[in-house]
Amino acid sequence: MNEQPPASPPPVKALEFKAAVLLVLLLALLAGSALYVMYARGVFEATQRLVLIADDSEGVQVGMDMTFSGFPIGRVRRIELGEDGSARILIDVPKKDAHWLRESSVFTLVKSLVGGTAIRAYSGILSDPPLPDGAARKVLAGDATAEIPRLMSAVRDLVQNLTALSRSDAALAGTLANMQTATERLKGRHGALGLLLGNDEDANKLITALERTNTLLARVDGLTTKVDGMVTRADAQVFGPEGVMPETRAAIAQLNATLGDARNTLKKADALLAEAQGVAANAKVATADLDTLRAEVESSLRKVEHLVNEINRRWPFSRETELKLR
Amino acid sequence: MYGAVTKGTPRLRPAQNTLPAADEQLQGGRSPAVRSLWLDDGPRNASAALRRPTRARTYHRAMSPPAPRPHAPADLGRTTLRWFTGWWRIIHLGAVLLVLSLSPSSYREPNRTAMAGHIAVGTAPTLLWFTLLSSLISLVLIRIVVVTAASYGLSQYALQMVVRVLVLELIPLTAAVFVALRISLPDGREIARMRARGELDALRATGIDPVRHEVLPRVMAGVFSVLMLAAVAGVVTLVLAYLTVYGFTSEGFDRYTRTVGQVFSPAVSLIFTIKTFLLSLAVALMPVASALYDLPRTRSRTSAELQALVRLFLVMLLIEAASLVGNYY
Repeated sequence: MNEQPPASPPPVKALEFKAAVLLVLLLALLAGSALYVMYARGVFEATQRLVLIADDSEGVQVGMDMTFSGFPIGRVRRIELGEDGSARILIDVPKKDAHWLRESSVFTLVKSLVGGTAIRAYSGILSDPPLPDGAARKVLAGDATAEIPRLMSAVRDLVQNLTALSRSDAALAGTLANMQTATERLKGRHGALGLLLGNDEDANKLITALERTNTLLARVDGLTTKVDGMVTRADAQVFGPEGVMPETRAAIAQLNATLGDARNTLKKADALLAEAQGVAANAKVATADLDTLRAEVESSLRKVEHLVNEINRRWPFSRETELKLR
Repeated sequence: MYGAVTKGTPRLRPAQNTLPAADEQLQGGRSPAVRSLWLDDGPRNASAALRRPTRARTYHRAMSPPAPRPHAPADLGRTTLRWFTGWWRIIHLGAVLLVLSLSPSSYREPNRTAMAGHIAVGTAPTLLWFTLLSSLISLVLIRIVVVTAASYGLSQYALQMVVRVLVLELIPLTAAVFVALRISLPDGREIARMRARGELDALRATGIDPVRHEVLPRVMAGVFSVLMLAAVAGVVTLVLAYLTVYGFTSEGFDRYTRTVGQVFSPAVSLIFTIKTFLLSLAVALMPVASALYDLPRTRSRTSAELQALVRLFLVMLLIEAASLVGNYY
């Protein structure tokens, strides 16, 4: 024990220095690691908050990424239950990446068969106004496993239908056999015509009909030529210099003149009628005067009769006492 | 640098080299007074210390390990009591050392020199070897994990797995085991030998607190070694993982940093820190504590060390299990 103190001093200083170096190294490592982890956790980044509202937050973990085109641009900070029972996923998006998110951005929550859940952002229109801080958006959920039962039932139906179709007594098999016959007909003498009409006789009839139609058409052609000539002649007669139309025009001119005369005549007749009206009025007045005249004549005649009677009574040389008035 | 440090070792550990012959003589040659100074803290130690002179007494025969006797209920009770006492002493010593390590007077001159010596001599050579070995193993594991994950189309999870398995779980554990085998167990043996020779009693007799002067520097050096090895190997493994996945380019740094950030969530970081610290404390404390309180028996010396080692591994297993439960449940 007593020999130790003199033996130890020389190496102590070097050792103390080494120990100090080691201590500093450890402290530097610990501080560096702590700073690196804090940097990796995004402690030094300015972020903005985005709230995604999902029906189901299953598979979402605090710290997981939100990706945009495969690049992580945000971290899930918290998951909480909203007042309406929906899951609220609070995401911190660094300010430098926030410009990828726009008002029209769509967010999806995809649960894959293998691996974890992924939150993805899609921005279709990058010219839209940027997403504000604290914006809340509905997240579209896509669950690959949830689709499986539906897919399975659909596939089962499909397979059943396929089985029914491919049975030997199925309609498809009959159709295919008919198709075979039809193609053989197609390859036959009458080709598609034989296929359409079913037998050769009808096909022959059709061909004959076609030939006759051709002949008919040729005759119709000749007839048309004749009709053309006739039309030309009729044209000349109607519209030619000696045709009907110029004469008709002259007749119409004459008719016009006649109509003018008739109009004059009518005017004269009008004047005549007016005069006749005057005459009639005069006649009316004269008739009224005639009544008075008659009354006067009647009274004069009575007076004459009375006078004759008087004479006859006093002068009885005539037996005829009746005086005839004419 | 480390060569110079290693050369200084024999002078710092005189107990191992300067007094090799005195060891055997001192085993049985202590006065009962000196023994009782150290061994007055439990029935087991007291009885064991007095075992050789009074072997014929039945009380002591029951306590001697080789006696093939059926276990009586009283025996069972005593064993349980001993077991609890042993653990309590370790915890008590840990608390004492913690208090001492927090008091500035422990870092005054003679102590500081001793502490610096233990730190430099213990950690420096170990650090180099451990870093080399852990890098090699990490490289192989990283390669296996990355290639396997890529073959299953899950390469995006490979990095996370590498960081979790290696940095969070394997490296602290390996560092603790390495330090236990290379530093703490030899330290414990040294303390046991010093105690057997009565050097600690002598120190106490001269007014120097042996716990503060001899035990605290070794424990602090052990804690430091574990933290240092774990930190260096962890950083080296992180760098190796990056280089294995992305190669010698800085293009993948952002992505890699993000992955590391995802792994080291606050809870995981906290558990990782606490676990590493507890592991280092257990590794540094338990062999020394076992040496201080258990009887150094000449015949079953290896067995006592093995017992300390088993106890240490049990504690390490518990800490690791607790951290796993905290991380993944």
